[in-house]
Amino acid sequence: MWDQLADLYATYQSTIAFIGINSLLALSVYTTLSCGQLALGNAGFSAIGAYAAALLTMQAHWPFPLAILAAVAVPAVVAVPLGLPVLRIRGIFLAIATIGFGEVVRLGLVNWDYVNGAQGIVAIPQKTELWMIYLAVAAALFVLARLRGSKWGFALEAIREDEPAARTMGIATTRYKLAMLVLGAALAGLAGGFEAHFTFMVAPNGFGFGRVVDMLVYAVVGGSQIYWGPVVGAAFLTLLPEILREVAPLVGIEPGPLRLLVNGLVLLAVILFLPNGMVSLPRRIAEWRAARVAARSAA
Amino acid sequence: MRFARSIGVLVAAALAATGTARAEQVVKIGVAISLTGPAAVYGATQKAGVLAAVDHVNKSGMLKGVKLEAVIEDDASTKEQGIAVFQRFINKDKVAAIIGPTLSNTATAADPLAQAAKVPVVAVSNTAPKGITDIGDYIWRVSLTEFQVIVPALQRMQAKLGFKTAALLYGNDDAFTQAGYAVMKASLEHTGIKIVGTQTFAKPDRDYNAQITALKALHPDILMVSALAENAAGIVAQARQLGWNVPIWGGNGFNAPAFIKNAGPAAEGVYVGTAWNKVSPDKVNQDYLAEMKARGVDPDQFCTQAYVGVLAIADAIKLEGGKGTREAIKAGFAKVKDLPTPLGLFSFLPNRDGSHPPSLQQVQGGKFQIVQ
Amino acid sequence: MGQQVVNGLFLGSIYALFALGYTLVFGVLDILNLAHAAVFMLASFVALTLVGRFHLHILLAMPLAVLFAGFLGLLLERVAFRPLRARADSNISGLISSLAMATVFEAVALEVWGPNISRFPFGTVPETQLDLLGAVVSRLQLTIVAVAVLLFLVLTWLVKATRLGREVRAVAESPRAARILGVDVNRAIAAAFFISSALGGAAGVLFGLAFNSISPDMGRSVELKGLAVIILGGMGSMPGAVLAGFALGLTEVFVTAYLGASWRDAVSFTGLFLILVLRPRGLFGAAALREA
Repeated sequence: MWDQLADLYATYQSTIAFIGINSLLALSVYTTLSCGQLALGNAGFSAIGAYAAALLTMQAHWPFPLAILAAVAVPAVVAVPLGLPVLRIRGIFLAIATIGFGEVVRLGLVNWDYVNGAQGIVAIPQKTELWMIYLAVAAALFVLARLRGSKWGFALEAIREDEPAARTMGIATTRYKLAMLVLGAALAGLAGGFEAHFTFMVAPNGFGFGRVVDMLVYAVVGGSQIYWGPVVGAAFLTLLPEILREVAPLVGIEPGPLRLLVNGLVLLAVILFLPNGMVSLPRRIAEWRAARVAARSAA
Repeated sequence: MRFARSIGVLVAAALAATGTARAEQVVKIGVAISLTGPAAVYGATQKAGVLAAVDHVNKSGMLKGVKLEAVIEDDASTKEQGIAVFQRFINKDKVAAIIGPTLSNTATAADPLAQAAKVPVVAVSNTAPKGITDIGDYIWRVSLTEFQVIVPALQRMQAKLGFKTAALLYGNDDAFTQAGYAVMKASLEHTGIKIVGTQTFAKPDRDYNAQITALKALHPDILMVSALAENAAGIVAQARQLGWNVPIWGGNGFNAPAFIKNAGPAAEGVYVGTAWNKVSPDKVNQDYLAEMKARGVDPDQFCTQAYVGVLAIADAIKLEGGKGTREAIKAGFAKVKDLPTPLGLFSFLPNRDGSHPPSLQQVQGGKFQIVQ
Repeated sequence: MGQQVVNGLFLGSIYALFALGYTLVFGVLDILNLAHAAVFMLASFVALTLVGRFHLHILLAMPLAVLFAGFLGLLLERVAFRPLRARADSNISGLISSLAMATVFEAVALEVWGPNISRFPFGTVPETQLDLLGAVVSRLQLTIVAVAVLLFLVLTWLVKATRLGREVRAVAESPRAARILGVDVNRAIAAAFFISSALGGAAGVLFGLAFNSISPDMGRSVELKGLAVIILGGMGSMPGAVLAGFALGLTEVFVTAYLGASWRDAVSFTGLFLILVLRPRGLFGAAALREA
């Protein structure tokens, strides 16, 4: 019994870790979404955090906690000069400008011989423990939860609903937006630092456009209206390939393209039928039930 | 209803499996390959190679009382899923050995887990000289490193063509092609050949006219290209289209039937250093080709290396007296020597890299021919 | 030098072709259709199948594939965009639903055609070459540049001079006002998607013919570059997209020639970034930046 549980844990250990890491990444997108900004530079921030931490532990022999602090601090510092000009632009344009930033970071790493270009940094010592990841997720959730209902939270909501109006009300919109961008960069960098010291390696390919799209998908599928929605989304979508691995053979689906198809269809279903993300599922079910009961009593 | 029925079938199959298990020891091999994502093109052919080899070993009766079984999982060309698949193989499927993963990047992330769990891994497509087998004593590899292929091929070509200058073109956003480039550069410098120019491209690129035009203007004696199969044909075709008739030498990625098929007449005369000599008249290779033909597969180097990966595991089991445990397979690997395979006589070196004769090929008449 | 100009113009025409359809939907709906690259890819595969399996002439196969792409556009609009239109965050949710459709399309292509690189049979198009002031140009390359310009002219005429075009433009300005004026908004948007995807399909088939490497992930090479082009060109501006396509093509070629190709993409994206920060309406765009 205990052996089996231990095996089960060992089997899904990395999945559990990635649920946490991906939650941090999803939250890093959520921070800017919470004030209505679609900033997609987080793969770049995550790369900066990952490379900074890996280089510090391997080259400068810093202790792991300090390296992780650097993974938080370096991208946060980079986010300030980036954010000041970029946050003046809005909507999809902000998204594209920040995608451009992310690509420049990735291409910089590809061209940087010191970090082995595309081969990446390998043989990084594994130092990340599950509890560290989940402690960080809990701390991030705590901060974001405290924001709700605070003066800060109201300001962010006002900016999200109507930015010009918020500005006329005397809210320093740029400062709030910048703060959230920096917080997002810090979370993304933290996730990168953890990842580098969990998967033994980091390479530029892991921080491309596809990765930041994943982060956005986690946040929106989980539900970007509430702070814990992105965590739900990250957990579900990180588990999905593993669930499909279990279920697919039972219904005769071989590994390969069909799973990709199911992945796409699930994503489509969530976005079409659960406008507020998966966190709204219980309420939607209750609504459907009520509608059915009403229909039956009417008949 | 259909679901219930398929469960019924599964239960029956499981019962049948346990029934035969009394007579036969089943050795599970985990196969972690990329069936989706950017490396899917390699995963598909590796899967064919593994399945063919498992059938081959089981039918041949070379392992008395042992039946090999391949558990194939898709790593989606990502390190996250590569790690997840490895942990699954190690802890859930409890495989005796692992073949894969397809990509070197994924290998550097997943192989340390197998090393820690003492599960032997056979890399069948990782060619980066560093960072794979030096992970630890459970990590072995069948695929020759770029050093093993490129250095002898370059010497043979140099003797034949006597070139003095070279230009390099490589994919710089991919671990495989970047590693190939590093070795090409080092061996050129070592042989005293002058590198007159270097250009790069990215994996998704399909237009290389600008790079080729720039290199052409430098008039090198030879153009060396480190590219994946998806880029190789386009590079050669565009170079010829631009009227550049320089000898072209391609790295490992050119070893795909798709290269000649897609480049067509432009492929004529291109040199490729290769781990597998497809046209080798050796009986083992000819039998293998017939076997694959019967399965409807046109094998390439990656398919063949995956096939040999399974053969190496089978041989290790045999050398350990039919014991198919993780430790036995690891111990057996160290004794694999001059094993007849489609790749030639195969041995593991003391550093756990594989060793067999590489060759230099040239495309002639729409086929790879060996350059003596 | 002359050769590099030819290279740049050719690459630019590929970008322009891809971006034309991309920018149409972007201009009308303020939505990025991330499935555009997948339609581009599927159209190429369909043309390949028609030529390779059913031995149709390319001049027949291409219009059929383009039509197919147009219908994919209708499907996309119906499944991934129309249900979301009423939502406040439709530009983000639309991004994701189109991404989901792109995943589905890619899975279908992987299942049907496999992951391998395929090409059109040899001789599908005449492979003759011309000498143009010392530069080598193939007839196909010239055709592609010509088709890019031609499609742009046809599209401009369609949008400027036809009733359908006027309706599409009205919807782009304000869906509500358009509805009041009696425009069938759903029909106009569906039409925009049909045209956009058909253009994407045409780009895909020509890309397949030009580079002879058709694979489920072929759209990746133009996905982000296309994004850069529509931004440089100014949102929704078709002449802008064409000019920006050529500008990006030429820039990339000359960066490759003088700095080396490893800097090419970094220069492109830094340029994109700077233009968004300094001149958000794009290099060629005149329209004011709308709030999305």
